[in-house]
Amino acid sequence: MMRRSMRIVNGCISGFYAARPALIAASLATLMMACGGAAVPPQELLDARSAYAEAAKGPAADLAPAQLDTAKQSLQVAQQNFDEDGPNQKTKDLAYVAQRRAQIAAAEGGREKAERKRAAADKDLRNTQTQGLENYAKTKEALAAEKAARVEAERKAAVAMASLAEIAKVKEESRGVVITLSGSVLFATGKSDLLPIAKEKLNQVAKALTDQGFKAIVVQGYTDSVGSASDNDALSLRRAQSVRDYLVTRGVPSEKATAEGKGASNPVADNKTPDGRAENRRVEIVVTPEK
Amino acid sequence: MNVRTWVYWCISGTMLLACGGYPVPHDQLSAAQAEVKGAEVGGANENPKAALHVKLAKDQIAIAEKQIADGDNEEAERTLVRAQADADLALALAKEAKAQNDAAEASEQVGKLRKEIGK
Repeated sequence: MMRRSMRIVNGCISGFYAARPALIAASLATLMMACGGAAVPPQELLDARSAYAEAAKGPAADLAPAQLDTAKQSLQVAQQNFDEDGPNQKTKDLAYVAQRRAQIAAAEGGREKAERKRAAADKDLRNTQTQGLENYAKTKEALAAEKAARVEAERKAAVAMASLAEIAKVKEESRGVVITLSGSVLFATGKSDLLPIAKEKLNQVAKALTDQGFKAIVVQGYTDSVGSASDNDALSLRRAQSVRDYLVTRGVPSEKATAEGKGASNPVADNKTPDGRAENRRVEIVVTPEK
Repeated sequence: MNVRTWVYWCISGTMLLACGGYPVPHDQLSAAQAEVKGAEVGGANENPKAALHVKLAKDQIAIAEKQIADGDNEEAERTLVRAQADADLALALAKEAKAQNDAAEASEQVGKLRKEIGK
């Protein structure tokens, strides 16, 4: 067909050789149009081409290559029909179908991509769930350990208190746990040096305190009402300090322990009787418990 | 079979084709209708893009039916091929939309769970 049209063109041109050049040029242009030139492709074919180009750029190239190839073949059939027969209805129909095939390939590519994304998300979800369960188990374990530690601490505290109760009066008051030690056990009359037996008792007190744990302790010294108030105040403070210092040497943190001299104040018994005065000569350890 | 019989058959065959006209595209018609139904079952009407191609397919089936009634069987067949392509595309688009939806949902779920664990 091409060869035939070339022959026609050649024939036309050779016929015009005798004519003037200007006429030749004008006639040539007319001839080109008359003899067909290049036929304009129909819109359907243009659409099919761009749909295919778009699909080939997208995920279909990797994820739906078979569908993309089908689309390519459809486009080639349409193109071939156009090359052979021009922009007739068959070309348009073929191009229409080719465009749809390209769009289908694009959609299949998009679907495959989304499905992969979904599979990844599902996997992620399972991993996250597993991780969540592990975290939960860990938290549970930590809580159990914490509870066990608390129970153990409470048990130790109870044991410490019980051992203290054997050697001293232990009372819970609003100001804290008050451990009262008799002055006659701790000190010689008028002295603030600890007796050897006092040290043994204070060892037990220190152990109980360190076992139990506490926020702070205040060691308060008290005297009976015999003697001057200033002497009593000074003596009670010295005694409180020697108890406090000894406790510190036995492991009670020094920053948590203070000493106070209370003199003859706050008597716990009658100062008129010897027994009452003996009770009033005492050292109280006020323990502020841990929160 | 001798040469004369061959020639006879060839001539009569050609005559039959010329006189008989183009057959009614029954198969294509039912195939196109089935594919439209398939696309609809696949959820094509729930997605606007897919729904458009369901409509195009249905429109072309209607055109093809008219062409068949008018005896334009060859045109009808090509129209039905178009209709099938549209129905196929509608289904593909519906599936793509569903997959994208599922993927987004799954991602969202992961995000939510991560947030919960992070608390």
